[in-house]
Order: sequence, then structure tokens, then C-alpha cells
Amino acid sequence: MNPPMLDLDDIQATILRLRPAPYFGSHVALRVDNAHIGRELLRRLTPHVDSAANWWKPASTWISVAISYAGLEALGVAQSSLASFPETFRLGMAARSKQLRDEGINDPKNWEALFGTRQIHIGLNIFSNSEEEWKRVIDIAREQYEGLSGITALAVQDFGAQPGDLNSLGYRDGIDQPAIEGSGVDPLPGYGRPIKAGEFILGYPGEAGVILPMPQPDILGRNGTYVGFRKYQSRVGAFNRFLHENGKTQDERELIAAKLVGRWRSGAPLTRAPDKDDPELGADPKRNNDFNYANDKLGRQVPLGAHIRRMNPRDSELTRLTDVNIHRLIRRGTSYGKPYDPNELSEEADEVPRGAIFLFISARAMDTMEFLQQEWINDGDFIKASGERDPIIGRQEEGATFTIPKAPVRRRIHGIHTFNVLKGGEYLFMPSLSALKWLGNLDT
Amino acid sequence: MASIERTQIAEDIVAKKIKRVQELYADAPEVGRVALKNGLEALKQELAASPGRQSAGRVGARQGRVSELTAIIPLEPGGGKRIRGLLDLLQGNFKGADVVGTLHDMRFVLLENDTKLLFCTTYDGEWDAYIDDFVTKIPNSMDILFCNCKGWPGIRSPVIKDWLVKNQITADAWYVASPNLSVAETWRLEKVGKAVDELLDKIG
Repeated sequence: MNPPMLDLDDIQATILRLRPAPYFGSHVALRVDNAHIGRELLRRLTPHVDSAANWWKPASTWISVAISYAGLEALGVAQSSLASFPETFRLGMAARSKQLRDEGINDPKNWEALFGTRQIHIGLNIFSNSEEEWKRVIDIAREQYEGLSGITALAVQDFGAQPGDLNSLGYRDGIDQPAIEGSGVDPLPGYGRPIKAGEFILGYPGEAGVILPMPQPDILGRNGTYVGFRKYQSRVGAFNRFLHENGKTQDERELIAAKLVGRWRSGAPLTRAPDKDDPELGADPKRNNDFNYANDKLGRQVPLGAHIRRMNPRDSELTRLTDVNIHRLIRRGTSYGKPYDPNELSEEADEVPRGAIFLFISARAMDTMEFLQQEWINDGDFIKASGERDPIIGRQEEGATFTIPKAPVRRRIHGIHTFNVLKGGEYLFMPSLSALKWLGNLDT
Repeated sequence: MASIERTQIAEDIVAKKIKRVQELYADAPEVGRVALKNGLEALKQELAASPGRQSAGRVGARQGRVSELTAIIPLEPGGGKRIRGLLDLLQGNFKGADVVGTLHDMRFVLLENDTKLLFCTTYDGEWDAYIDDFVTKIPNSMDILFCNCKGWPGIRSPVIKDWLVKNQITADAWYVASPNLSVAETWRLEKVGKAVDELLDKIG
């Protein structure tokens, strides 16, 4: 039993509510040029922001609001409050690029112009399960900021509506979210024991039994959390060429595609469907995440370096002392642009704007993202694969390899490339509903 | 840039460094001045090599995949006695530290009548990547050892990272023979080396 212990009425819906299926939506970036108008915008938006109450029930459409450090400054938040935010958050994602291993092709100097410039102050996210509802709600959001002279709409990025809700490399995604203690629902089979809420939402004890420091005053911090916003462009041509170089037949290519991720395109895990895809299994939320690696210690089903095994090693043996429960993130992944096409092999296909935008949500999102980028994504020592990186979201260097354990000898594939290129990112704070009201009514 | 130009610039830099060393040693004891004169050619090679040193994060130095942590920490009254007693009882057995998987070595030296601890370690990667894991996985081991240090806030404290940084001193110089070998990779190579020898023994 996992009864609700959290202030679900005060926590923003996006933190707990799963992405709908099918899904439509938009990410909106706003700049606050005038603190008074910025606070007026918050007062206007807040009544339209959904809480996480009954988050487990299907919902049609919701809006969430998150604010960057530059945004908090622009809203006129007092210096004593600003100073209470973690240093990594204050500096921002671009300034932490070295710790995040956002180097080379992923370096902030190669990002889209808007990112890393401290211009993005407020991020709105609209999620919906229907095109009509999405359009209706985005109009509501727009009505709140359009015509306000002190607010500049910097960008609107629509997402979703991919056939079958597949991501930009053609996989079903979004499976395997961390289960959260006190969130009110028992985890589905395979999701592991619920993790202490303080790892994901501020104001509650975390896995170490203590409450993390919160932005001050408490009303600002409590029931809020941090969001790492990351926009990736998928190099579909490079990905397909890689599959063709290493698989002669369609079946061979699909097996390699499955080995890279640890799941078939349908979402069916290789631990439960090691030899061929099982779309029924992939579509069944009660079964598609119900596995561990007790019978796959060597990675002959799910390679040790496969994407899902890196992002959640479960019971894998790791070379380093690791508590897997403190390195998880809630992710709200959203695909944008042209749908995946397995027949696109050209270099031009790499430049088509399409890919994935993630909201990585955690009470210590900055620390966790740095850990993941350093240890589990852009390194292989923790799984005895020195020099190898995550085949899906890692930044590959020239001559990179990917090992597929096999009897009698492993297969090592050479020439794996960076399939998802980082186009930009920001750290944002997603306040509680009462904090949004508090911010809107700040008197300066 | 033409490679001849680059070579010229590199030579100029080395010449400047040599001049600086000679200035530094102008008032050195005679044995040092003579040694510098005789050993100048060998020293030139080292001065010309590209710098291997990076920062390991907030403090500390890094070379390749390996980082160093050096700290001189004042001890609580009685803390020196407890640490010395504990280390004696362990008789140099730190096998328990194997589980951490990132520690190349650890060195404990009690200084100034056991009132201060010199703690040095070489480890893989960023200095704070796994501190949160210590908190949930080996909090007792950490607190048993470090509770003897002045101001130790407890491993669970949110200010633990700041405390560590405060006590850490970045090494002024540091040598690493295999900067690209992590602990995990060293263990793997040991195993592979043994397996290859066994295979060759069977064939040969």
C-alpha cells in the first residue's frame, strides 16, 4: 500500500501525472522584462495550473509553470531567497557544461541561440491527449501572456502527435518511471519499491532520512522541485546508417536496435522477449517493465551498456558503490518534428529538426543530471566497459564502441556515433501552487 | 599555423621556463646550482611536455581519469587517540573500501601529537559524484572514522560537501603513472591478463 502522504493539491500536475497517450502539447519560453508585469502574469496563470490531486486518473489537458534563476531575479525575488537556491541552479545548465559533459558537438556554443543566454525566464508546458483540447488550452495560456507589454514570448515548441507515440528514433518511450512513496498509488509490477518522496519533491525526507535544504522562505520551496530541460535533435540518418552497417537483414537490424536500448521498438523488454519482438508485451503496462537482471548478469539479453540498463541498473552488479534509488529522475519526454522513418539514410536526414525534449524532474535534478552525465551516460567504468557510453544519449567520440555480450564471445560494434545531439537546455524551478501565488503577490 | 612557427613558439616557452628556473636557483645551495647546470638537458624535456594537470572540481587536481584529495583536518579532543586505536586494530586492512570501487589508495598520517589528520586519497572521476551514495550505503563507516574530526557535520548533513571542500588542499604537484586507468579498468585488466596467460599456458 502506498497511501497519499504528499500535499497533492499543492504540487504541480506535471510532476506526477504521466504523459497521456496519444499526446499533444507545447513548450513555451517567456522572458520577463518588467518585474511587476511578470508577477501579474503569474497571478493570471496560476488559476489555470493543475495540481497533482488524483494524478492517477486519466486527465485531458494541463498546464505547468517553471521558472529559471534568471526568471526569479527578473520577478524581483529578494536576494536572501535567491541565495538560498543551490549554486548549480543559480549558475545554470550552460555554465555547468563541463560537469555535465556537454562538450564537443553538445557544447553550449553549438546550442540554439536562445539557450544558455539567461533569457528564458518562465517555461510553460501544456500536455494534452487530444489536438482540440491542446489548441483550446494553449489559447488560454496565450491569452494570459499576449498583450502584456513586459512579457516577451521567445519561442513556442509544439510536440507530440507521432504515429503510435513512438519517439524520434522509432521506439515506444516513457516506460519505467520511478515509483514515489506517498504518491497514492501502488507501483506497477517491476517498478521497484517506492522511493522516498524527498528525492523528487522538496519538503519531504529523502532516502537518507533527511529533508534536503529548500529555497527560502519555506512557502517558496516546499512542494516544489527542479526541472532539467533538455532539447535533443535526433540524427536519424546516422542512426539508420549504423543499423545498416551492422545488420544485413531487417531482423538483424531490429535486433541491434533492441540491443542498443534494451527494449524492442514496441517497448517489449529483451529480458522477457530475448529473441523477437512481442508488441503485445510492449503495450502492456503491467508486464512491459516487470523484470530484473537476476538471470541476465552477463548482459546476454540486455547488454550491460544498453540505454535502459544504464539509466536504471536495477539489480545489476556495479563496480562502484552505488545506491540506484538516489540517481533516478522523473522524465516527461516529448517528441517533436518529423516522425521516424527507417528508410532515411542520408546525411540531410540528420539535419531535419526532430528529436526529443525532456523535462527531467527531481528535488536534486542538478546533482542527479551531473552524476548521470558523468557516470552512467558518458562513461562505462561502472559496468566494466571503460570508454563506452550510452548508445542513445551519450556523446560518442571517434572510434567509439558498443559491446553486445554473447556466447561464446562478445560482439563489439565499432563506429557508433552520437545519435542525439544536444541543442540546448536550462534548469528551472517548478514551484508549488502556493509558491506561484506567493511569487505573484510579492510586494517589492 | 605553420608547424615551424608552432615549434618556434614552443621553444620560446621552454626557454622562458629555463630562465625562470635559473632565477629561482640563483641563491640555492651550491649542490643544487651544480645539479641544475648538469641536469638542465633532462629538465628541458620535462618542461616541454604538455601539462597533464586539470581541476578535479571545486578543489583538488585531476590527471586523465584520476583525481587527488589531500586534507589536513584538525581533530576533536581525544579524536587522535580514537583514530590511531582504530587504525591499529584494522592492521592496515581496508578491504571493506573495495566496495567503493573508485578508491586507488588512502593514506592516514596523524600529525602534531595526534591533533591533526593528514588524509590523502587518489580516486576516479569527479570528487563529489558518489558522496550521496556514501550517505545511504555506508553512513556508519564514514561517521565512525570522521566523527573524530573537528566540525564533522555527519555524513547525512546537507553541508557535508562544503565541509569537505573547506578542509581540502589542492596538491601543488602530483604524479600519476597511468592517468587513464580507473580502478574498475585496472581490476578488469588484471583479470584479462591472468586469463590470457592461462590460455597461452594451455596452448604453449
